[in-house]
Amino acid sequence: MKINALLKKLFNKTDSKDVAKKRLKFALIYDKLEIRDDMLGNLQQDLIEVISRYFEIDKKSIVLDIQRSDECSALVFNTPILSAKRIQEQPAA
Amino acid sequence: MDGKVIVVTSGKGGVGKTTVTASIGAALALQGKRVAVVDMDIGLRNLDVVMGLENRIVFNIVDIIQGKCKLKQAAIKDRRIDNLYLIPASQSHEKNVIKPENMVWLCSKMKKEFDFTLLDCPAGIEQGFKNSIAAADQAIVVCTPEVSSVRDADRVIGLLYARNITPKLIINRIVPKMVESGDMLSHDDIIEVLSIDLVGLVEMDDKVVVSTNTGTPLIMQKDSKAGNAFQRIAMRLDGHPDLPIENPMDQKGFWKRISKKFSRKN
Ligand SMILES: Nc1ncnc2c1ncn2[C@@H]1O[C@H](COP(=O)(O)OP(=O)(O)OP(=O)(O)O)[C@@H](O)[C@H]1O
Ligand SMILES: [Mg+2]
Repeated sequence: MKINALLKKLFNKTDSKDVAKKRLKFALIYDKLEIRDDMLGNLQQDLIEVISRYFEIDKKSIVLDIQRSDECSALVFNTPILSAKRIQEQPAA
Repeated sequence: MDGKVIVVTSGKGGVGKTTVTASIGAALALQGKRVAVVDMDIGLRNLDVVMGLENRIVFNIVDIIQGKCKLKQAAIKDRRIDNLYLIPASQSHEKNVIKPENMVWLCSKMKKEFDFTLLDCPAGIEQGFKNSIAAADQAIVVCTPEVSSVRDADRVIGLLYARNITPKLIINRIVPKMVESGDMLSHDDIIEVLSIDLVGLVEMDDKVVVSTNTGTPLIMQKDSKAGNAFQRIAMRLDGHPDLPIENPMDQKGFWKRISKKFSRKN
């Protein structure tokens, strides 16, 4: 190990390339998660359609969002249920 | 047998595509292959000056595609290196005059005449990129050890996979001293995030600038580290895929030379 590297370790300094690598890894993950603007809207429509076959839901208070943290990304769908449907409707053909 | 068409691309601009195309083209020709290098940057030609052939342009790639001349008339022969030809870009056209199907047609003709056709792709992922990858059999992605460049390389690699091409990576402009002090991404770091095979490591070399100043092939410069690296890349492309990839090292100092001996394994 070079003296410089040794000193760095002693003073607990992180290499700038390790910072670069970490940023790069996150950037690549984020890039792959990027979606078109209309995609979330379409997904919400489809989800409402499917869920309404089984539940009465309050369509206005539905929230669909992608949440990103350092560790992971999640698709979060939040819908208040008014009631379950007793008789399951035939799905529209 | 038909020759190969290899596209040299990067996403990010200024990382060394033109340098790579000119140097590997020259090296392949010196190895006895018939080689054509094609400047795909319509409107901003570049490869001609890097190769020192700018004064001899008569026709260009758009002229061939529009039927104004034959392929042979537009191909400029390098007088220093046998079997090396340049197809220059047009300065006066919009980049949209060429369509991917034109390139498929042109490359099918090129493959009959040349063992290797190297396409110097413009930066970006628009029309020029689409044209360049339309007819390629293989791809070389060039990046530098910088976050933005590696990220763009990832994007381009994805687009190439979507076209069923498995690209190979050249990391250019490596500064060994900075890699050793931990201030530059190493090739291992880059390979780890990109998951792609390497075909060469090229270090930062003043001789590259000298060679573009004078328009002489880098390969012909004595003891240019970058030149040597390009020569070895050309061999890997031409029947020696397992030729070891040397890790550029800061060569001052005894201990570093020793450690170089032990790091030859990749
Ligand atoms: N290994 C190297 N050492 C030193 N300088 C280099 C090296 N590789 C490239 N360069 C320099 O970097 C600059 C950009 O290189 P080049 O023109 O080949 O990039 P490019 O990817 O073709 O750019 P563009 O996207 O604009 O077409 C040039 O000035 C070139 O001389
Ligand atoms: Mg270029």
